[in-house]
Amino acid sequence: MAGFTQRLPPPRTALLRSITDPRSTEVLDRGLVLWFPAPRSFSGEDSVEFHIHGGPAVITAVLQALGSVPGLRPAEAGEFTRRAFQAGKLGLTEVEGLGDLIHAETEAQRRQALRQMSGELGRLYQDWSDRLKRCLAHVEAFIDFSEDELIEDGVLNRVDVSVRDLQAEIERHLKDERRGERLRGGVQVVIAGATNAGKSSLLNKLCQRPAAIVSPIAGTTRDVVETALDLGGFPVLLSDTAGLRDSSDLVEREGVRRALERVEQADLTLVVVDSAHLPSEVDRAAAFLREHLSSVLPDTGRCLLVLNKADLLPEKQRQKLDMELRGVSGLPAVCLISCQTNEGLKDFLTVLHSSVKTLCGDPLFGAPTLTQARHRAHLQRCAAALAQYQRYRDTDLALAAEGVRVAVTSLGRITGRVGAEEILDIIFKDFCIGK
Amino acid sequence: MPEVRERRTVSSWQEGTSNSNNYSLQSRYTEEHLSVGITWTLKADGLQQHKTTPGVTLVRNRKLRSSSPKLGDWINVGWPDDAILRWCASHMLRKKLPFLHSLLSPVSRHVGHLAGHQYDVIVVGGGHAGTEAAAAAARVGAETLLITQKIHTIGALSCNPSLGGVGKGQLVKEVDALDGLCGRAGDWAGIHFSILNRRKGPAVWGPRAQLDRQRYRDFIQSELLSTPRLTVLEGSVEELLVTEPNPEEPGHHRVTGIRLANGSHAISARSVVLTTGTFLSGSLFVGQTTSPGGRIGDAPSSPGLSHTLRERLGLRTGRLRTGTPPRIVKDSVDLSLAKLHLPDSHPTPFSFLNTHTHCKPEEQLPCYLTFTTPGVERVVRESLQLNCHIQQDTKGPRYCPSIESRVLRFPGRSHQVWLEPEGVTSDLLYPQGLSMTMPPDIQLRLIREIPPMRRAEIHTPGYGVQYDFVCPTQLSPALQVKSTQGLFLAGQINGTTGYEEAAAQGLWAGANAARWALSMPTVTLSRTESYIGVLIDDLVSRGVTEPYRMFTSRAEFRTSLRPDNADLRLTPKGFEEVGCVSSVRYQESLRVRNSLQDALTALQALFLSTSSWKKKLPSVPISETKSTLLTGLDLLQYNDVTFEMLASAFPESLSSYMEFAQRLKIEAVYKPHCDLNKKEIERIQREENMSLPQDIDYFSLPVSLSDEVREILDRVRPSTLGAATRLEGITPAAVVNLLNYVRVTEKKKETHRNQRHQEAQRDEELCANSASLPQ
Repeated sequence: MAGFTQRLPPPRTALLRSITDPRSTEVLDRGLVLWFPAPRSFSGEDSVEFHIHGGPAVITAVLQALGSVPGLRPAEAGEFTRRAFQAGKLGLTEVEGLGDLIHAETEAQRRQALRQMSGELGRLYQDWSDRLKRCLAHVEAFIDFSEDELIEDGVLNRVDVSVRDLQAEIERHLKDERRGERLRGGVQVVIAGATNAGKSSLLNKLCQRPAAIVSPIAGTTRDVVETALDLGGFPVLLSDTAGLRDSSDLVEREGVRRALERVEQADLTLVVVDSAHLPSEVDRAAAFLREHLSSVLPDTGRCLLVLNKADLLPEKQRQKLDMELRGVSGLPAVCLISCQTNEGLKDFLTVLHSSVKTLCGDPLFGAPTLTQARHRAHLQRCAAALAQYQRYRDTDLALAAEGVRVAVTSLGRITGRVGAEEILDIIFKDFCIGK
Repeated sequence: MPEVRERRTVSSWQEGTSNSNNYSLQSRYTEEHLSVGITWTLKADGLQQHKTTPGVTLVRNRKLRSSSPKLGDWINVGWPDDAILRWCASHMLRKKLPFLHSLLSPVSRHVGHLAGHQYDVIVVGGGHAGTEAAAAAARVGAETLLITQKIHTIGALSCNPSLGGVGKGQLVKEVDALDGLCGRAGDWAGIHFSILNRRKGPAVWGPRAQLDRQRYRDFIQSELLSTPRLTVLEGSVEELLVTEPNPEEPGHHRVTGIRLANGSHAISARSVVLTTGTFLSGSLFVGQTTSPGGRIGDAPSSPGLSHTLRERLGLRTGRLRTGTPPRIVKDSVDLSLAKLHLPDSHPTPFSFLNTHTHCKPEEQLPCYLTFTTPGVERVVRESLQLNCHIQQDTKGPRYCPSIESRVLRFPGRSHQVWLEPEGVTSDLLYPQGLSMTMPPDIQLRLIREIPPMRRAEIHTPGYGVQYDFVCPTQLSPALQVKSTQGLFLAGQINGTTGYEEAAAQGLWAGANAARWALSMPTVTLSRTESYIGVLIDDLVSRGVTEPYRMFTSRAEFRTSLRPDNADLRLTPKGFEEVGCVSSVRYQESLRVRNSLQDALTALQALFLSTSSWKKKLPSVPISETKSTLLTGLDLLQYNDVTFEMLASAFPESLSSYMEFAQRLKIEAVYKPHCDLNKKEIERIQREENMSLPQDIDYFSLPVSLSDEVREILDRVRPSTLGAATRLEGITPAAVVNLLNYVRVTEKKKETHRNQRHQEAQRDEELCANSASLPQ
């Protein structure tokens, strides 16, 4: 097709060639052709890349020409990655990272995915796995050899310390408050508050389009309105909810129930308050807001207080309020805004961005974060199994060792597999075994 | 024990096989055996009563079977009645009832001459593997010939005078559960019983005994010489007779028998089990001298056998080494300088049929513990150039190393040396841990560096052995050579070390050799159900690079494969599917299983509030915060609660299960963990049930596999997908691809079989779900 009828081009060299249809010998395009012989290719198999011009006619013509070559067919979705995994070019966590990378919609998601694909998360788990295997090898050695052999007395005590440390580390990793998963799936931000506080206006402001119907009538929004945002590189799933009030209307009551459900699942709640409802005495505002907050959020999760309709307040009261509510104990960050005049919106966005960033963590710093629920499930099993070690340590070493075995397998499920031979190799490397 | 008056037994029983309907239960055995003064015991369990020569009463005595024989008794262990029952059971299970009729109307058949020319199974070698193999083959119903160089070394303990231990004890229990010999022989010959790992949990308890060498040998010999259908012949095998394969079965060759040395006497058989131990191209090493042989005092085996295996059958072999310590004259050792080590005050028998050991608790002998000194290390270093064996780089056992390798690998340490009795009347000691191959005068210098042996005398010097083994990946899980129909291998020839490992393989190879000879399908044991399964699976799917020894850490499901429940795991299967277990043992295992189940049900039926439990068992700290109801089973899981305590609180429902008190306690504690294992066990068993065709061409298989993986699969040829997953170098992805292949081919074969369940499970487990792959 690219004129290499006689012999193959040099590997991994970009060559400018005319690309011709092998049947009609018609030139379809001029482009770069790259040849990757196995195994040094993405999928580990012989591969060739055609770099062609992007017009639909060129693409169609080239694909059709390729399809006419016997033995060639279009790849199925994900087939290249699957083959790379099957050829052992990518580990499981790396494959997952690659999948995320391709799906990444925001900067931060891309960074996290790239980090995972490059194997960093895999290495963290591998390191734990190596340490656990060493623990297991020592416990196994103690079981299989201590009666006959000179296993040092302190072996089990060292295992105790290692197991305790690992358990703590894994639990700390699990207690990341789902930062990585949140970054992968998007931060759930829910706008909640009393009716007619301007929640839908806030949503429309944030997504810069009239996503929700806005009217002066209380109870306009009845269902949950959702929209996805890229907030300074972080993915946000923003939901607008029905205003919270007692209503005899069945539909509205259902809306309120859904609103409360959303608030419960939210990573961050934006509690919107109509500034006009604030007490005119500024020093009573904090107490008022505290009470209001507890009525909206049954248990105070992460939230921001948004005092909307600031344009309706006299300038003096606005300034006083701003001063008064800054850093009041028992209150979250308070932003005074107006969706009407855009006043305070910029500051609010800064506050919102930093909250979202805290929720996601910085994907480039610190230990790599958990990104998938699958990993979390295995890690939780791992931590529970290590607790089993502690529980049986003094009464039944076989059951204690079983705990470490389950822990190793659970970690192995994330990254690959573990075999008994590996354990024995460690045993023999570390101990003088003689009958 | 009886004196062995007749070195050969006769083929006294010609039992019909499943494909010949002749079934003789009364051949001339009575005359022949009466002629050497044997009284046979026999009674059919409700199936048929057999009359014998007038004047001889044949009564089967169950008590005799389960206790040790008395001096002067000749005791037979259950047969033809057992054989019939077993046969009926296995055939009824396969719904082949028409056979029963012909079975129950036996017809006399010609009885072979002493050491005839034709057998179902020939076993070569009389060590731990060979004796179990021969006995198992005969139990399954095959006319069996055991050929050994010297009948009086049958059952000899070539190395250490002990049986069992951590991991190995589990094997002994399992061999016993399958009606093998070594457990009962250990109970008869043991003179110092102890459970190792007593404080580490019942799953890893290691039943172990020091043995009286003479008693062990006597027991094994008397068992074999009184086993029906088993003939023992003294001789040396010159070569294997090999011919064209049966085209209906996989394989390139078929074994048809053996030829004996000196006289070219050919004996034909449908199966041959080779258990040649260290005799295959064996060389002995002491100091700088090397001589051919597999054990000191025995003639080397014929080079013909090893030639047939390598050249005629094309089997890959490797070389391994082992060694044994010098035997020390007991009187020359000052045992007061060593640490006394006492046996358990209540010896625990190995066998599920025995309630007590032959040796009385107070008659047990102690062991002694001492340590090496820097002088030992000095002697080893000074004599290195005089030590051929140690200079070779053949692989020896890492876990049973010679004193040379111990001090060279871990210098500057003090190493343990156990001084073990060799028997009640023996005046020798066995120094466990002092295996050595230096010249005898230096061996003496070395042992005298150890304080209690300062004036010790050596009775027999230690020596090393190097020998050929057949790479066991060439075997099927039935221990049959894949390329050669009817040829089975067991023991050190497969690269293992240890009596227990040999016995376990011997039993399994013998049972399968018999099944093969009798045209019954061979059987396999899963690594999820037994240590024997772990052993065989490791051998045939991974191979060995050093002598293989069993450890509890090799068993993935250690909490389920406990020494206490080997009978529940294996005895019913051994009777119903394999045919190597007597009906007596089978009935006993059913009784135990039912009683345990009833007792667990009774425990679960005790359903009380915590406060009621506190009243019943005031000494137990039951947490008050638990307001829930607790069952007796929950309570039994408490550390401080024993079954005895519960039984005395609820005598009416529990006291009848007192004989199982310890087993119930263990069952209760382990039950939750075993339940957790179940899902994983089922997954593995499913994989083990997916067989990979033996003639598959991995290089042209139309699935995505790397060349490296193809090479491994081609070399090892795993029998099942389960075995393939455990191969080194096989990636999870390769397993997925193989799985897909197996599924597709199986679907073609049996479209009606519903495998959707398997698929769903498997996909989930391997996590190679396309959901996580980029679209």
